[in-house]
Amino acid sequence: MKQLILSLALFLRKSKRYRAIKESVRDMLTNSNNPYKRFFDAFIIFLIITSVFILIYEVKHPVPQWLDNYDIYFVSFVFLVEYLLRLWIHTDLMKYIVDEYHDSQFLHREFELWPVMKYGVKEKLKYMITPAAIIDLLAIFPAYRPLRVLRIFVLFRVLKLLRYTKSIHQFVEVISNKRFELLTLLFLLVFIVMTAGIAIYILEEHINPKIETLFDSIYWALITISTVGYGDISPVTDAGRMISMLIIISGIAMISFATSVIVSAFSERLHELKENRIVEQINKSRSFLIICGYGQMTKMFFRQRRKTIDNYIILDKDPKLVEDARKDGYQAIVEDASRFETLRKFNVEHSNITILCLTRSDVENIYITLNAKSISRKIKVIARVNDMNIVSKFEYAGADHLLMPNQVANTMIRTAITQPTMYKAIHAILTGKSVARIDEIHVHEKHSIVDKSIAELNFKSSKLLLIGVERDGEFLFNPLPTERIRSYDILLVMGRQISLDYFNEKHEGG
Amino acid sequence: MAAQSILLFGYGSHGRFIAGGLHEDGFKIKIVESNSDYYEQAKEDGYIDVEYIDVTNDSILQALNPQNFEQLVCVMEDEHLNVFLTLSLRSLFKESYILSISDSIHTTKKLKMAGADKVIDLYEVSANKIYNILQRPVSTKILERIVIDRNGITFSETLVPKGSFLQDTMTDDLDLAPYGILLIGMIDEELGHTFMFITTGINHRIDEGDTLVCIGPKEKLDAFEEALKKERKE
Repeated sequence: MKQLILSLALFLRKSKRYRAIKESVRDMLTNSNNPYKRFFDAFIIFLIITSVFILIYEVKHPVPQWLDNYDIYFVSFVFLVEYLLRLWIHTDLMKYIVDEYHDSQFLHREFELWPVMKYGVKEKLKYMITPAAIIDLLAIFPAYRPLRVLRIFVLFRVLKLLRYTKSIHQFVEVISNKRFELLTLLFLLVFIVMTAGIAIYILEEHINPKIETLFDSIYWALITISTVGYGDISPVTDAGRMISMLIIISGIAMISFATSVIVSAFSERLHELKENRIVEQINKSRSFLIICGYGQMTKMFFRQRRKTIDNYIILDKDPKLVEDARKDGYQAIVEDASRFETLRKFNVEHSNITILCLTRSDVENIYITLNAKSISRKIKVIARVNDMNIVSKFEYAGADHLLMPNQVANTMIRTAITQPTMYKAIHAILTGKSVARIDEIHVHEKHSIVDKSIAELNFKSSKLLLIGVERDGEFLFNPLPTERIRSYDILLVMGRQISLDYFNEKHEGG
Repeated sequence: MAAQSILLFGYGSHGRFIAGGLHEDGFKIKIVESNSDYYEQAKEDGYIDVEYIDVTNDSILQALNPQNFEQLVCVMEDEHLNVFLTLSLRSLFKESYILSISDSIHTTKKLKMAGADKVIDLYEVSANKIYNILQRPVSTKILERIVIDRNGITFSETLVPKGSFLQDTMTDDLDLAPYGILLIGMIDEELGHTFMFITTGINHRIDEGDTLVCIGPKEKLDAFEEALKKERKE
């Protein structure tokens, strides 16, 4: 038996496929950035809602057999599978066994299976007693119709929704942050209710026909303190009325206290919740920009190109600047982009991210660059460099593009003085504002222009000017008409936007 | 190109670079500074025609005779001073061509109001560049190489001389392939002194006095210019 479990553990530990499957299940169940999680969540929510709907419907109407079967077998089965999967991915039992085996081999002691199994099962049990897991477990029980009380289990399915709806989740989180205040309040409430309940029981049990047991009096105390006051039980003696008055006043105080605790908890976290929402929203898009720093450069960047930028988020350490950005109508959050946790929040795995480091400080820009690159090489970084002497440092840090505002401006001024016409041309091309813009056509494998010669393509007839071709990192200026286009070439053409669009349309795909 | 003379105000981070570039291109420059450190720096870098003056004083400015220079370039480190200087120069010398640098959106507006003929906004050009990097990374890289490296592929402006063989040719028929260069645009004197791109699709007639803007390797552009000067229309 021991040998069998051990060899199974060793086998599973080695199996790449087993690990890959486990990893993908874990990702789908727990990683909110996983694109499939949305569908899975929607499916579970659908099951819950139909199940509750059936419960309500059958109160007055007979339910068809298939619907009953669906509710009892299918939904329960899916929930059971989900529960087991969650239990499975929570910890890795096999890892404990294998580790223990290796340790004992290393120390030349006899391998004991049971202690490690006990430890592993204990870990699983720890998961099983978390509230979420208990709800999941109870939600599996189907509504056994003959026993009416058991139907209440269906309501656990409603509670299961907690896991699948983010806003409720956040609500619970906010409330649980104020655990101490709320627990104090609850303790006080229990204390007052018990005292008042016992007092009224002693004072009125013989006189008041409505109060027969201690439960009656405690029920009365709670109804009174909460200011609900059904009026089914009411005090009849002066002493009893005195007690009522006292607990009504303390009740009002307590309710306002509870309200203020919850409201303050929310207003404290509101900011953060809002920012999390923005991050979540942006994480859904397939490619987006993270702009670090809301200074002159960022403002200018937006002022120039506001319409063409959809997916972006601005990060700045300074709450004042973020406030400014929001007032200007941009999506901004207070975050320090040089912190590892900050960039980790973004969906690095599933989206293309470009980071613009536009802060005033070179040190900070370098730090952000390194930070981004350490999280994933896939993140593209465009960094602003103020001091020309540290360009090489940025290159070491792995920045994909460098932006040197001083150098750009200096070159422009020099050009403006020495070659005024050329300045106009370059300015027009760079800003793309006028009739001429330079654009690049990325030739992919299936592009219809592959293998055609430049003469055949006849750029002149499309009112385009072919400036050159970038091939394998080299730039061929003004290639000969006999030159043939290859896959992955990048053509640099100049012309009006409509000419470019037309050319693309004519040759796209193919 | 004839050696133009430039009056450069400011020898800070921008001024230093611009002075170097202009010197390389064979311009005559006079540097004016009001900051002693920058003044010393200019002297150290080997510029002879450097003046250390108070630029807020009108009579001293007048003594510089800015009307003898083709362009006045204001790139003082202190942006307040730069705006003030632009304003003084404009009020004193109505005819001069003034070029200023700005490093904020607000300053750009002020400089234009102060009467600068051209304002280069540090942030505007940079913001454009970010956008270009995002949208067209390859062309940005290549254009940059064209602008910065003046010995490889570059732009040139060529004046069409009198009696040139190009005269009366329509731009659509113009074939510069033998020269290995590309015509990207021209300034047509008939249509006013405005720059037009060749790709706008309008057929221009080339006349004497027009300026052709071409792109190509430096030596080929030079060869083309030579040819234009020599070859006459039969």
